[in-house]
Amino acid sequence: MSRNVLASIVIVAALILQVTVVNRLPLPGSVVPDLVLLAVVALALVNGSLRGLVAGFCAGLAADIIPPADHTIGRYALVFCLIGYVCGSVAVEMDRAPLLPFVAVAAGALAGTVLYALVGAMLGDPRARWPVVSHVLPLQVFYDIVASPFVVWAVLRLTNRAERPRDSAGLDPVPGFYRAR
Amino acid sequence: MKDTRRTRAVLGVLLLVSLAMITVDYRGGDHSPLRVLRGFGEAIFGPIEQGATAVVHPIAGAFHTFTGAPSAHRRITRLERENQQLRRQLRTGQLDKRRAGELESLLGSSGLGGYRIVPAEVISSGEGMENTVSLDVGSRSGVQPNMTVLSGDGLVGRVTRVGPTTSTVMLATDAASSVGGRLESSNEIGIVQGAGRHGGSSLKFQLLDSTVVMEPGQRIVSFGSEDDRPYVPGVPIGTITRIERTSGSLTRTAVVRPFVHFTSLDVVGVVVAAPKRNPRDSVLPPSPSPSTPTPTPTPSQPPPAQAGSSAPPKSRPAPSPTSRG
Repeated sequence: MSRNVLASIVIVAALILQVTVVNRLPLPGSVVPDLVLLAVVALALVNGSLRGLVAGFCAGLAADIIPPADHTIGRYALVFCLIGYVCGSVAVEMDRAPLLPFVAVAAGALAGTVLYALVGAMLGDPRARWPVVSHVLPLQVFYDIVASPFVVWAVLRLTNRAERPRDSAGLDPVPGFYRAR
Repeated sequence: MKDTRRTRAVLGVLLLVSLAMITVDYRGGDHSPLRVLRGFGEAIFGPIEQGATAVVHPIAGAFHTFTGAPSAHRRITRLERENQQLRRQLRTGQLDKRRAGELESLLGSSGLGGYRIVPAEVISSGEGMENTVSLDVGSRSGVQPNMTVLSGDGLVGRVTRVGPTTSTVMLATDAASSVGGRLESSNEIGIVQGAGRHGGSSLKFQLLDSTVVMEPGQRIVSFGSEDDRPYVPGVPIGTITRIERTSGSLTRTAVVRPFVHFTSLDVVGVVVAAPKRNPRDSVLPPSPSPSTPTPTPTPSQPPPAQAGSSAPPKSRPAPSPTSRG
């Protein structure tokens, strides 16, 4: 299975899971983890910045048009594209900093919420007022970090499995996370 | 990291594309050419969401049971107490015939006010700061944009977009939603606005007339819009829990607890035909019995200078709830 197919499967699965299950969880603070953002961060960390930003753009566009969405088309595409690029370009540091995925997820959640709200504020979206954003922001980062190990693990696991046939040549001793680029 | 120049070029192009999309979609409003994309998304993701919901529904139910346990426990205690009280009442034969008849006529007249509804199930819920859900009925079931959505308890929201088999509903708690509301048993009208995710699931009610006194415990029904789109009249919205006093403001704001439990929406109804005549308060649940210890009613509180109570206005001037713009 090629990496592109894999990335699209991950994105679609994250989206569907997000709108049908996660968004309906009655979590305290009425904020929920953003699986799509986590999937974009994980894909960017595994695949590098080019694939990361393309994956981010596609995931964002899909999140813009999936049924209950009711905002200006292109907002999530813009935000996730940037996040994919940034997370992909720090992926080189992965072998030195084992905690990098968490930092990337935290930064991604922070930047994602703020950027999305900023674009909304520029467009005069009544949902993106400051009291709402300041209430959502810390909880959003917290939930995203809590949920990140599962998503990142799932993406890594999938990538490993997809690449196992090539592994069997035994040429590459580095575990999947660092080899992926 | 072999090809940063190419990466940057792609980044630039995609950012430009998304900015262009935002601009086009924003300028186009409801008629933007990009709405085609949404239709596309509805056609593709709608059926997938329906399938996924069918699969995960039992899991979500289990989760709800789990998280709802503490409140369920409280409710059991309350119900037990209520049960005892009722039993005592029954034993002493206090439940006279007249009251039973009254109750029956109230329930009968409500019959949900004569709205014709299409039942629907919530299949997914919106991202981020949006309080939107999608339903598993669409244009094939006769649903059109700007129809009222209600549940057995009261007002849920309005339909904003319709696909062939799914439709999107903006909940009344969404920050972009505003509904015309009317205070129970008086003719005073105002606007009910959602507080967004920040406010949990509470609503704000602003009376247009600042001289009228509101009290916690008063209830609000929908006022109805012109041609019953997007809101039909007489749908219960919620109960006033407290009054916010903001100095210097021309209007008074009340915090309203909605009748509908927005965090656990499941089966709702889309109103496809409004009642022939305004049901006014008849759909409100029977008010808590007057024997309960109310905090000493201030001399029956007649709304000051309310001459209009004799002749309720026939027309509904419709403070037409604004759509997003």
